[in-house]
Amino acid sequence: MNSLVSYHWLKHYVDLHKISPDEFAKKMSLCGPAVEKIWRRDDLLQNVVVGKILSVDAHPNADKLRICMVNVGEKQPTQIVCGGSNLSVGQYVALAKVGAQVKWHGEGEPVTLEAAKLRGVESFGMICGANEIGLADAFPHEEKEILDLEKELGKDAMKIVKPGTPVADLLGLSDDVIMDIEVTANRVDAMGMIGMAREASTILGRKMLWKPSNKIPRPTPHPPSLKLRGTGAPRPLSITIHDKKLCPRYMGVRIEGVKNGPSPWWMKQRLMAAGLNSISLLVDITNYILLEYAQPMHVFDVARLKMKGKAPEIHVRRAKDGEKMTALDGKEYNLDSHALVIADTDGPVAIAGIMGGERSGAYSDTTDIILECAAFDPVSIRRTSRRLNLFSDSQLRFEKGLSSEGVPFAMARAVELVLDLAGGHVTAIEDVYPVKEKAKTFSVTSTEVEKRIGVKIPVVRQKQMLKDLGFRVTGTTSTIKAIVPWWRHFDFEAPVDLIEEIARIYGYSSIPAILPVGELPPRTTDPETVWEDRVKTIAQGAGLTECYTYSFVSQALFEKTLHDPSRAFRISNPLTEEFSIMRTTIVPSLLNVVAENQERFREQSLFEVANAYVVKNGWNELPNENLELACAFYGHADGFKKAKGFIEHLLKELGVTNVTWKRMSEQGFWHPGRSVQVFKGDELLATVGEVSPQVTSNLKIDGRVAMAHAQLEAIFRFAGAGASYIPPSAYPESSRDLAIVVDRGVEYGKIEHAIRSVDPLIVHVEWFDTYQGAGLPDEKKSVAVHIALASRERTLTAEEVDVLMAKVEKKLAQELKASLR
Amino acid sequence: MQDQLEALRVGLLDEIQRAKTIKELESVEIKYLGRKGEFTAMLRQLGSLSPEERKTVGARANDIKKEAESLLNKQRSVFAHKAASSIGDAEWMDVSEPGVRPPEGHVHMVTQAIREITGIFDRIGFVRERHPEIDWDWYAFESLNMPKDHPARDEWETFFVEAPETKHGRMVLIPHTSNSQVREMLLGELPIRMINIAKCYRRQIDVTHVPMFHQFEGLYIDKDVSITHLRGVLDYFAKSYFGPNRVTRLRPHHFRFTEPSFEIDVSCGVCGGTGVALNAMKEDVKCRTCKRGWLELGGAGMVHPTVLKNGGVDPKKYSGFAFGWGIERTASMKSGTRLDDIRILYKNDLRFLQQF
Repeated sequence: MNSLVSYHWLKHYVDLHKISPDEFAKKMSLCGPAVEKIWRRDDLLQNVVVGKILSVDAHPNADKLRICMVNVGEKQPTQIVCGGSNLSVGQYVALAKVGAQVKWHGEGEPVTLEAAKLRGVESFGMICGANEIGLADAFPHEEKEILDLEKELGKDAMKIVKPGTPVADLLGLSDDVIMDIEVTANRVDAMGMIGMAREASTILGRKMLWKPSNKIPRPTPHPPSLKLRGTGAPRPLSITIHDKKLCPRYMGVRIEGVKNGPSPWWMKQRLMAAGLNSISLLVDITNYILLEYAQPMHVFDVARLKMKGKAPEIHVRRAKDGEKMTALDGKEYNLDSHALVIADTDGPVAIAGIMGGERSGAYSDTTDIILECAAFDPVSIRRTSRRLNLFSDSQLRFEKGLSSEGVPFAMARAVELVLDLAGGHVTAIEDVYPVKEKAKTFSVTSTEVEKRIGVKIPVVRQKQMLKDLGFRVTGTTSTIKAIVPWWRHFDFEAPVDLIEEIARIYGYSSIPAILPVGELPPRTTDPETVWEDRVKTIAQGAGLTECYTYSFVSQALFEKTLHDPSRAFRISNPLTEEFSIMRTTIVPSLLNVVAENQERFREQSLFEVANAYVVKNGWNELPNENLELACAFYGHADGFKKAKGFIEHLLKELGVTNVTWKRMSEQGFWHPGRSVQVFKGDELLATVGEVSPQVTSNLKIDGRVAMAHAQLEAIFRFAGAGASYIPPSAYPESSRDLAIVVDRGVEYGKIEHAIRSVDPLIVHVEWFDTYQGAGLPDEKKSVAVHIALASRERTLTAEEVDVLMAKVEKKLAQELKASLR
Repeated sequence: MQDQLEALRVGLLDEIQRAKTIKELESVEIKYLGRKGEFTAMLRQLGSLSPEERKTVGARANDIKKEAESLLNKQRSVFAHKAASSIGDAEWMDVSEPGVRPPEGHVHMVTQAIREITGIFDRIGFVRERHPEIDWDWYAFESLNMPKDHPARDEWETFFVEAPETKHGRMVLIPHTSNSQVREMLLGELPIRMINIAKCYRRQIDVTHVPMFHQFEGLYIDKDVSITHLRGVLDYFAKSYFGPNRVTRLRPHHFRFTEPSFEIDVSCGVCGGTGVALNAMKEDVKCRTCKRGWLELGGAGMVHPTVLKNGGVDPKKYSGFAFGWGIERTASMKSGTRLDDIRILYKNDLRFLQQF
């Protein structure tokens, strides 16, 4: 929550003498509410002075322009050419002198005024419209109208002003600044000027100038000057609370004989400073209390309330299902029994704590009012506001929690302002307070405070800080017992809250920064996070680019990639369909990245490491969060080999050995003739293959994509396990190359297996080429391998090697019908 | 014999000097000094001389041999130098052509930030752990002192999962990494120095928000932990991550699960913490990067006693602090290249990804 605070206004509540706004901002931000921005209120009023128009003459060359001679307090009047539609002799105007900065027609960046000739007549400044000097909100006006100060501020205000006086002085804006202050959600009290002043008083060590009062003039039910409606009204106001949980206190004061109208300038400009518009005196007074006390109020026009008897009845009750009310924003709201309303005998006249009804509000003809000041249950306010999608300054404060004890103070001030500014007599005061709020008390020991903060603070000082904040403090030399002031009632929940108050007033910047020492934690780094990082390093080293895709995907993507969306957890409140299911595999998302980049990048090598969320035993258990690796190779001539090679490389780098590769021929996401899986024992480590052309075409990918999909948790389980080495042999290796001609359908894996099974002296078999074509029958291929033979005990003789190779040849012929080329 | 020797010397030195190639030089050497060379043959005859003669002639012969060898070496190096310089022309290649590079891979900006942050905390003994990214309401909110109706929960625009409600409440996509606080405590292994980095989810998408992002959570629980330690750790982090010239400040803030709670600001790297920067015309203007010299880094606080209790830790014996904030934001604050639109991180446009 942010609050706009006029520094001048704040000075009425707390002594800020000789503290600059910058200094204020710096100190406050470190101990309490943070001042985020500061700006001057008179920026557009420099060199703008009060002028009195002495004459208005026609312009010789322009119908719509006038030539005015204006007294600006100098020996000679100033000549101004002006197009204002409401100019008259004797008028007091805001005159921008040469050098002033104004906004032309209230728009754009300010420009500096210069002396100019307008249609041949010299003009030395400008008579301003309110919008040209940033006052459009204060003095709304028609296009072309200039600001008539006397009309706006009243004759009395002008009597003491001489031409030449800066307009900023006249308006009380000189040297004032507005501060944009962040107030945390727990400190709704500091949303009011008094609360802010209290903070400033404690933090800056300055005196509070404001004194609380809850005194209201005694009601005079039958003042002879008033003509009461009806006859012999015994009680001019009755209030009934029907749900004391939702409304612990409701106070109403009836004032008759008031006169509504425009608010005085001092009030208007303060509302303006806080970002509120002036509406009418009576409404402005309730808003003024909102700004001063952070206590929302409401005003009802008695003449607009429906009554059965002779006195107006206020019922605080839950709405009936189906009840409707048009609020002050002009919209009709459908209410139900969850919502608390203020009702007359006819129906709701306000949604409690949120917004008043249009029917019963104060208007220009209002003379007989009820001021409402109450406490409402914060949760109920919040729920109703969300349900109706209706938000207001009042609701914003109530839903943070406002104390019942603040009610009479705010009411007393409101009555004072009404009587002062709108006149009238108090004819009734009703205060219904069924559940008395009990002040909270908390205790801490000064040792606890010091231990938690980490510095020594004398207990006397600890207590004084709390006293300055309004706590009633007792206790011994080592304990602090503090009664929480009502304006912090909802904020305080535990003794530790007292420690926070002492710490922040002591000043966080005064607390030293010390690195903790101490016992080593028993838990060690999660090894998966370390391996995960290693995988990324390997992938980067292999030339792959890392992607990060969203964990939620669309149902459509899963369907297009032939995955089953019904196995995935669904989001019940997704932002859009695009983000509606939690992916059970990360592969489709990466394939989608390929699709999205294919126009610009005809060759891509990508990877991602992320969790997939897979249902465990049922939908009522948290899912398994499986760490997966996905790789995609697009636009490469040998994409499949790249994908497979990368997984081989990864397994080798991670020390996962003795794995088995098995052909996979399921139809689905993967190409049924071009996919393979790698296992360690029975455990699946990864799937590698080309993506089925059906899938790529569903995603409108031009060309083939090879992908790899690895289950990292399984891989990590075998990673680096029992890393060991074999000492290099002292005896040389013999090597032979073979070109083996077999049927095309014979897999290399089988050839290698057959060769290896001949004798343990065959230590290495390595593929280096497969050939099909000229010189071979159509159904045959030639597979070239490199074979290494060695013994750890001796050097093999040429004869031994020949014998072994003959065995190999025989075995290949027997098992695979192979011949040698 | 003496004369013969002198005559041979003249011929030898002359021929060495006249040799035009390294080959000619070699044949001169063989002709005179080789096993069957003229000079060698002469030396063999020394035996036939009288002892006195042998002494003088022998000494002279040695001098001549040394002289010849030294001249040979000199000439040899002349030829070697010539050969070395001519190779430049003979084997010239265009060195301005680009080299053959190993394949160039890229890791994402978020990964880089995670690595750096993990490393910084690792050095002061904070170990990285993993906790769920889909979790129960209890761990994400309730146990953190945020009851169902508390307005504080509005700040977390939470995604819910379609799943039956259990005694731990509804299933949610974690809106922050703080669910790991109570989870880590419940493991019952104290003291705790933990960093947890995970994906988080909130219902927001615009130029400054993405529905999926990353947070890191630090948790420290031990006996006698105070605000001084929190300040120490955060200061250490800010200086390690942002640079030694940056400073931090704590401001009061409000979170339900810590008390006291803080907002951590780090001094602005653009204006040096003054709040005033130079514009293109070298004039002093308000710094556009920061708020009055400070950038908001994130939240922190002393773990609330209620949260300790929910984690099975006795608040009378133990205290601690927690902190946590967004990886993306922290990373973009460091680089100074404040991302105009944070969504670019998850668009996976290779033109962006391949710059890292």
